[in-house]
Amino acid sequence: MGFKAYLYDIWEAVATTAKGMRITARYGVDPRETITLQYPEERWEPSERYRGFLHNDIKRCTSCTMCVRVCPVDCISLEAVRGADKKMVLASYDINIGRCMYCGLCVEVCPPKSLVHTSGYEMATVSRGELILHFVPEDAETVKGRVAKQVAEAAAKAEAEKAKAEAEKGEAEKAAKPADAPQAPDPSPPPKPPREEAAPFIQPAAPAFAAGNPETADAAGKKPAKETEEEPAKAGDEGGEGKE
Amino acid sequence: MLESLAISLVDAVPVLSGVPLWTITLLIMVVVAAVVLTFALTYAGLATYVERKVAGDIQARIGPNRVGPVGILQFLADGIKLLLKEDIIPAKADRFLFVLAPYLVFIGSFAAFVVVPFGVGLIASDLNIGIYYVMAITSLVVVGVLVAGWASNNKWALLGGMRAAAQIVSYEIPVGMALLPAVLIAGSLSLQDIVRSQGGLFGIFGWNLFHNPFTFFSFFLYYVAALAETNRTPFDIPEAESELVAGYHVEYSGIRFAFFFLAEYGDMFVVSALATACFLGGWHVPFLNAEALPAVWGNLFSLGVFLGKALGLVVVMMWVRWTLPRLRVDQLMRMSWKYLVPLTFFNLLGVSLWLLLFQGRGIPQMIASLFG
Ligand code: SF4
Ligand code: SF4
Repeated sequence: MGFKAYLYDIWEAVATTAKGMRITARYGVDPRETITLQYPEERWEPSERYRGFLHNDIKRCTSCTMCVRVCPVDCISLEAVRGADKKMVLASYDINIGRCMYCGLCVEVCPPKSLVHTSGYEMATVSRGELILHFVPEDAETVKGRVAKQVAEAAAKAEAEKAKAEAEKGEAEKAAKPADAPQAPDPSPPPKPPREEAAPFIQPAAPAFAAGNPETADAAGKKPAKETEEEPAKAGDEGGEGKE
Repeated sequence: MLESLAISLVDAVPVLSGVPLWTITLLIMVVVAAVVLTFALTYAGLATYVERKVAGDIQARIGPNRVGPVGILQFLADGIKLLLKEDIIPAKADRFLFVLAPYLVFIGSFAAFVVVPFGVGLIASDLNIGIYYVMAITSLVVVGVLVAGWASNNKWALLGGMRAAAQIVSYEIPVGMALLPAVLIAGSLSLQDIVRSQGGLFGIFGWNLFHNPFTFFSFFLYYVAALAETNRTPFDIPEAESELVAGYHVEYSGIRFAFFFLAEYGDMFVVSALATACFLGGWHVPFLNAEALPAVWGNLFSLGVFLGKALGLVVVMMWVRWTLPRLRVDQLMRMSWKYLVPLTFFNLLGVSLWLLLFQGRGIPQMIASLFG
């Protein structure tokens, strides 16, 4: 190493150190360079298109099972029964958010746009079972029982109406033919002549369908309501007992 | 000095005249030692906090901010944590040396505080070989580090200890030669004499830093070499985390580790204090003659000025630490033997020649004499 190179080395060491220290000084002094956010106290506003936790507005959900079918990782499961007014009633709607990969396919496919991404991103649980979001607050069996009762009531009412109508018809035939049946006590079930085949269709407590994760649904066999309870129970062994 | 203090104390308080003089002297010594140690520990604690804040700022973070207002009590929390931690001594360690090493390091670093000239009269002991004493006593750190590395019976620790020894021994030479210009100018090894020799001329231009070009470079050479002697980044190869886990103190925990930690910060202060005393005018208050002021005010002012300068240099050390990456071992050795040693040597030669040629007068003095 020649003398010139030696001196140049020294110069370079001094110059580069000074340069580096100027940069760090700028970062050290300029308060705007501090980008740390005091997370629990303040937080960034997630973007509007942020795909956070899913939320299902069950009042609008039509139980069409599109979301269940489209989900690539099978994390949505739902159970629905045919209600008294022929509409499907959700008995349970669960999303295993711990398995969800936030692809957004379910939201895209939902016809009434009841399933949406919220901006939520904070969740910590002590067991995996707690990561299953239940959107129907009641127990599936309770809902099914109630719906079955309603259906049975409606059927009984229809039956009674039919009988009454027949009786009236017989009476009317007997009598001098009044204009119409006086009035239906409840107009909401249309006073159609109930068909005979309607009764077996609305078998009490028989779910119209149960859709969900294939493996767990199969394991649960004929009791789809048990399926969602299975995982929390399993995880509960590790410490979250009684969380359900 | 302490004996004369004891005599004056006896004169002032006649009740004490019955007590033997040596008892009072000893008592005063203990009090002075306690005061210095308290200062040293408080400083070291706060310095860890400041260091973390500086690091945070430089890295665009915030740094500690949870314990107390803006995290100022963090160092207390850390200290308590270190005190309460389990004290682990490895089964195959050399117990006696393992226990001894932290004390050696701690003593080597904090004994140097004795001769630090904090103010006009604020010096624990104005040894007439002050600088020599500092150089000698801080060498105890090498022994402590080497002992720690050996006693841990751990290859990382041993490597760290060996490196530390090699590094500190290498850098003692440039450190000593870079300090000599101040000694030459003052004509004394006592730190108080060196500080006194830098008075006058508005209190700033009397500094050795501006005495002549060679002393100017001397300051920077000393600072770099001393930085290496304190084993701090970019010269922290003895404890290089990425190579040696933690180097010589890898097996230490709890309060024993705290000793090493405090010693590092103590070293930083000693080095900065020496640089201040030898090149930056020590406790001389700019535009004021601190010695001519009433004793209390003079001491207070000079203490403030001295601490300001020294702690400023400590902050610069932190700044350097968070700027530069660590050197390699061979680079470190090359820097000492190929660059710092020859440079400080020529510097010393230059200062000597200057003093010979201009009868010990510096550039500011010559300019001042031009105007009468
Ligand atoms: S976001 Fe994707 S992964 Fe998550 S539930 Fe919807 S379809 Fe499944
Ligand atoms: S796609 Fe929408 S409407 Fe259909 S079941 Fe899913 S959430 Fe309900």
